[in-house]
Amino acid sequence: MKKINLIVSIFSLVTLLSCTQDLDVISTDSTVKTPEALFSTPEGYKQALAGVYGNLSLTGTGDAGSSFLEGIDAGTSQFGRCLWYLQEMTTDEVVWSYENDEGTAELNRNTWGSSNPILLGFFSRTMAEVAIANDFLRQSAPEKLTSRGITNATDVANINMYRNEVRVLRAYAYYNLMDMFGKAPFYDESSAINSQGPEYNRQQLFTFIESELNAVLPNLKAARTNEYGRVDQGVANMILAKIYLNAEVYIGTPKYTECMTKCSTVITSGYALNTNYLNNFKADNNTSPEIIFALQSDGRVTQNYGATTVIINGQVGSVESNGADFGVGGWGGAFRLRKQFVQKFDGSDYAADVRNTIISGSRPIDITNISTNGQGYVLAKWSNKTVAGVAGSSSNFVDTDFPVFRLADAYLMYAEAQMRKGGAINGGTLANADATSLGYINALRTRAKGVSVGATAVNLDFIIDERARELHWEAFRRQDLIRFGKYTTGYNWAWKGNSLNGTSISDNMKLFPIPANSLKANPNLTQNNGY
Amino acid sequence: MKTIYKKLLFLLLFLPFCVLAQNTIGGTVLDKITGQPIPGVNVNVQGSTTGASTDLDGKFRLSNVKKGDKVVFSFVGYKSETIVFSSQQSISVQLEEDSSQLKEVVIQVGYGTVKKKDATGAVAVLGAKDFNKGVTVNADNLFNGRVAGVTVNAGGGAPGSGSTIRIRGGASLNASNDPLIVIDGLPIENSTGTGSTSFLASLNPSTIESFSILKDASATAIYGSRASNGVILITTKKGGKNLSVEFNSMLGIGNLIKTVDVFDAATLRKVVTEQNPSLLSRLGNANTDWQKEIYRQTTYTDANVSVRGSLLGVLPTRLTVGKTYQEGLRLTNVFNRNTVGLALNPTLFQDHLKLRLNANYSNENNSFADAVESSAINFDPTQPVYDNTSKFANFYENYNHATGALTPQTTRNPVAQLLQTDNTGYSNRLFGNFEADYKMHFLPELRAVVNVGFDETHGQTSRYAGLDVASSGSNNNIPYGTNEISRGHRKNTLFDAFLAYNKTFDKLVFDLTGGYSYQKFESNTYIQGNLNDPNLPTTGVGGFPQYKVATPVVLLGYFARTNLNYNDKYLLTLSYRRDGSSRFAKENRFGNFPAASFAWKASNDFFKDSETVSDLKLRVGWGVTGQQDIGDAANIYLQKYVTGSGSSQYTFGTTALPIAISSAYNEQIKWEETTTYNAGVDYGLFKNRINGSVDVFYKVSSDLLVKGPLADGSNFSNAIFQNVGQFTTKGVEFTINADIIKSDNFNWNVNFNATHFDRKIDELIYHTIIRTGDNIAGTGTQAKVYQEGFAPDSFWVYKQLYDVSGKPIEGAYADSNGDGVINADDKYIYKNQDAKLVLGFTTNLNYNKFDLSFALRSNIGNSVFNAVNASRAQYGRLNTGADITNLPTSVVNTGFNNTSTVVLSDIYVENASFLRMDNISLGYTFPKWFNDKISLRLTAGCQNVFVITKYSGLDPEINNGVDGAIYPRQRSFLFGTNIKF
Repeated sequence: MKKINLIVSIFSLVTLLSCTQDLDVISTDSTVKTPEALFSTPEGYKQALAGVYGNLSLTGTGDAGSSFLEGIDAGTSQFGRCLWYLQEMTTDEVVWSYENDEGTAELNRNTWGSSNPILLGFFSRTMAEVAIANDFLRQSAPEKLTSRGITNATDVANINMYRNEVRVLRAYAYYNLMDMFGKAPFYDESSAINSQGPEYNRQQLFTFIESELNAVLPNLKAARTNEYGRVDQGVANMILAKIYLNAEVYIGTPKYTECMTKCSTVITSGYALNTNYLNNFKADNNTSPEIIFALQSDGRVTQNYGATTVIINGQVGSVESNGADFGVGGWGGAFRLRKQFVQKFDGSDYAADVRNTIISGSRPIDITNISTNGQGYVLAKWSNKTVAGVAGSSSNFVDTDFPVFRLADAYLMYAEAQMRKGGAINGGTLANADATSLGYINALRTRAKGVSVGATAVNLDFIIDERARELHWEAFRRQDLIRFGKYTTGYNWAWKGNSLNGTSISDNMKLFPIPANSLKANPNLTQNNGY
Repeated sequence: MKTIYKKLLFLLLFLPFCVLAQNTIGGTVLDKITGQPIPGVNVNVQGSTTGASTDLDGKFRLSNVKKGDKVVFSFVGYKSETIVFSSQQSISVQLEEDSSQLKEVVIQVGYGTVKKKDATGAVAVLGAKDFNKGVTVNADNLFNGRVAGVTVNAGGGAPGSGSTIRIRGGASLNASNDPLIVIDGLPIENSTGTGSTSFLASLNPSTIESFSILKDASATAIYGSRASNGVILITTKKGGKNLSVEFNSMLGIGNLIKTVDVFDAATLRKVVTEQNPSLLSRLGNANTDWQKEIYRQTTYTDANVSVRGSLLGVLPTRLTVGKTYQEGLRLTNVFNRNTVGLALNPTLFQDHLKLRLNANYSNENNSFADAVESSAINFDPTQPVYDNTSKFANFYENYNHATGALTPQTTRNPVAQLLQTDNTGYSNRLFGNFEADYKMHFLPELRAVVNVGFDETHGQTSRYAGLDVASSGSNNNIPYGTNEISRGHRKNTLFDAFLAYNKTFDKLVFDLTGGYSYQKFESNTYIQGNLNDPNLPTTGVGGFPQYKVATPVVLLGYFARTNLNYNDKYLLTLSYRRDGSSRFAKENRFGNFPAASFAWKASNDFFKDSETVSDLKLRVGWGVTGQQDIGDAANIYLQKYVTGSGSSQYTFGTTALPIAISSAYNEQIKWEETTTYNAGVDYGLFKNRINGSVDVFYKVSSDLLVKGPLADGSNFSNAIFQNVGQFTTKGVEFTINADIIKSDNFNWNVNFNATHFDRKIDELIYHTIIRTGDNIAGTGTQAKVYQEGFAPDSFWVYKQLYDVSGKPIEGAYADSNGDGVINADDKYIYKNQDAKLVLGFTTNLNYNKFDLSFALRSNIGNSVFNAVNASRAQYGRLNTGADITNLPTSVVNTGFNNTSTVVLSDIYVENASFLRMDNISLGYTFPKWFNDKISLRLTAGCQNVFVITKYSGLDPEINNGVDGAIYPRQRSFLFGTNIKF
């Protein structure tokens, strides 16, 4: 027995001492880093900052087909693409032909429910932006920098500037959630990982966005002084201008004066209208002096199936096969225009307007079957060719950035805010544009080689149509129609409400439902009315 | 390799003849009742090392025998016979069956063995005689359909391809459902290496001696954290005392059986005329059956030589050399494997030290072929395969003849895609183990065993296509060709050490095993990227070429097991394992996995003298097993940042910088646990001529590892692996083997097994619905879901409405939630892929020198989502781009127009019950050759003989329940030769 004991003890000793520390595995891959490793150098903070920006352009860290989100197609989950789908496909400006992409039919026809994957994609992508931003703020907190030995004054100053920009991006994320869902779970840098944030309603979100932006504004770089791809005061002012313009919708309180102030600030910060309207939508639009902020896309280094890649490939007509004109292969007629949008360019005033890029050819104007991609006119506004006509580096992923804010928008926002402040109301015919407003409106029309308008023609109905002519396919349409009271009732377009000629939809559809799984995963969230 | 083989063969052949000078005895051993010769009988001289065994005809020859020596004849299942040698030249010995011994089958149970009759858990064992016949390229082909509760589904006809193996349906949702596969004590990783066709492809099936399949937790829990989905233990053949050489070869010719029904050229013309005459001008004049053009008649050759013997008289050795060449139906698809298997199993110090070395080397040289089925179904049959005017190597393609640009969104010529693409790969793998089993000199009841295992694979795939290949990558619709190489390296190392103590105290047989196991898995890959791609991102840390190192996975465990056998009536097995996994944080790293089972040999109490009941054993078992295999998620408890690839960069100023984003992480992640209850009966009737077992089981998996929703904004994704939820499986298994006729020249044996089980998700994280599976058509069109109260992967579809004549109304669905709007919220759960009943049947008939066997399998009550129809059978698809798309003829039945409105209709969920004859095989054994030394057997057979089903698609046996244009299975006619001497 003694011998057994001895053997067993030796054996046990050997095995118990064995390699339990081997269970602490680490990755030795050059693309995987611990927080300590990444944030040990100033370069690491910049890479993390690129992550906060990159989440709005890219879907994952691998190739264009990678995504860290579930429940939504990887390529479709790109922030700009979801934003565009929700703001455009639910309106009179476009239909998406391939309705077998789940969720698109519901957007085309305004029949969405809470299990719509594109809603999930937008909600999750935007909330991921909040999480990534909060993580950056945690990792770059002053005490963290000190403990990691980042003490060089220039480095610290740079990182503090990154922090300001990240707070703007987080506010931008919440602005979009406030607009689309009217509420959002709230997290800031003090929130714990995997916690369930409280629900913020529109008023709370509005207050947060406003106070955040006002807090960081003085510390941001002046407009057009930061390097390409980064946020400056112009961006923060534009977000503020947007929430003020829509304040009546968001919180029931008009803030048109504040909107005008912000627009004026933007307009006078050094931006300039691009001499050619269409240059804002080309492969080298990163050089346009008109663009205030854009989502990056690059055929080589920033490959994604995001907004511009989809728009440019999608606008290639099935009949025209005009991909070569835009420097892309083309997706066989994915996007077509609805008749009501086409009619915004009716009349001789718009015959020479360069903003009118509509191709009608032998196409019927009416889309009687959404799957028939030979029906309905197509557009030629966007391109993957440079101003000089050179095709982008890749025909598969475009070089064209997606402008989130550009100066022309600020012009029209100013005019609208001024008129609303002066008493113009939705459906009213009050033409009260002042000289400044009229100047802004005609600056755009002149730039477009169109016909100037006189003060008497400019009422709110004109503004909404002018916004469509100037800003179509730039992800503003849904928000605008809601602000103008034309989204659910009072204005119909083909296939609205799943009806050939359009029909009113329920008022609750001004807000999207919280996606089903997002709602369940956070018990603090409540569903929007009617869903 | 050939020369080594020859040398070794020579050596092995030569050895026995060195000692022929002694007295020699020869003769025949026969069955006392049937008079049939018994092969494989051990013939030994008592008290000496001299021994031999009988050949196929029951003949033996034993040399070096002295007068007065006692020669013992022993064979499993028979009573031993002893003859005293008195210079007889030739004797005839008759052995009598020993019914008490008949089932002396040994089962591997992990870190030891038990006799089948003493097994207390739900286990099945398959020896060589039970293996499936016919085309058995991979190990899993050998037992498909043979074991109740075990399903093997190849999902298609790719040669050498892996199968989905499920034991009792698996136990997980998002974690692995694959059983643990252990080859000679080495657990292997269930992932296919670069250049290989499947992880089991590197094991030559002809080296396999037996499978032990452990089904319930009381049997598997010794493997703790990896045992929830059952364990398959593969034992390879060992060296023997006497020389035997076996040569097997099989030749086959395979043919396409069936294609998806699409319109032929004339009918398509008619359809276009009716539906959309404006397209008529686009039709061509050819009549091409594209699905026939992409396939061919195939050949199959498989040859193995196995030499078993004792090297230098002391080193029992087995050497197997094999070559398998199997062509796939797709024009360029070949599976080509060379294997060498070596087993050395010497014993030293009067059997105190047993050494065992198993080394398996395999070299695959495969030619892969793209899945062009979809293109072939779609391609316009009025267009020809070849076109003299084409700039694409004379293949017809849709392109602009003026600019040379391909027409976007059109189908590429599938024949050209196969013939113009050079897509090959190789995989070299060496795996095996070395085991030392030492029986203590001073304490023979105690053994110490050390087992070291290794498994290393290097592989490469390459893909080349020229500038005239339309299916290669393109920029501005001009192809730029393909030039890609990927390499992979995998390594798996194992160290096991255990002590085993075995003692008999009067009526109590007691054994105790305790030990330690360590295993580490590592891998890395090199991806060159397509050098021809003008936009190949080469900048940044993640730019091409990419070298990726996977985070290693380390598993270690401590285990103990005891078997108690009282009076050969009451059997108790207790086991315990404590396992650690590197996938979890320190606090959650270790899991405990206990199990207990009890069996009562009722036959030894009640039926001792019964003529009818020869065996009856009742078993109950309970055990807890774990699951930690969540694939690539190697240590998601840690926060880690991933930097972007060359194409995932963000530009500041003019400098592109790879983005860095934290991966989602979960510090709380831990084991998923499965508790299994099992009760069973093993029975034997009429001297075990009829035997089998019945088992009922109930499995509960809790703390499910589910990649489920996260509160948005709380982490860096909207889903991560979490331990929430519960999942149950309950089922019944039945097996019967019967020797219906057993006589001198006619034997008939049947084997039948049946399984029924039900799987159900009791609780899913946050009570959500999680969509699963591949898209049917377009993004986000997954047809399956996880939902509480239903089987995993149930179909989630719209309820189709029909008009009074029973014709489906396009796009008309039931408003399931009654909200007045038809949208995704109206989808409902409708059926699933699980069969209600899985049946397997095999039979063997022997008549004189002829033998005939066939194997049938059947699934009843399973459903398949016919994605071929769902995504294609709509008239609107005739013209979605610039070309004409062909349609499945089933469009005539529905008259549907738009894919998008019907793609997730329940009309596409079909009953896929089937009865399939896998193989039928006829053999003839020639009596004698070369002085009775050589036996020759010839066989002829057919693989994949027939399928009876109502399913309208190509094949009802589909992996994962969604039929999206599979690689068809071929029907092969086979001719085999087996020579032994």
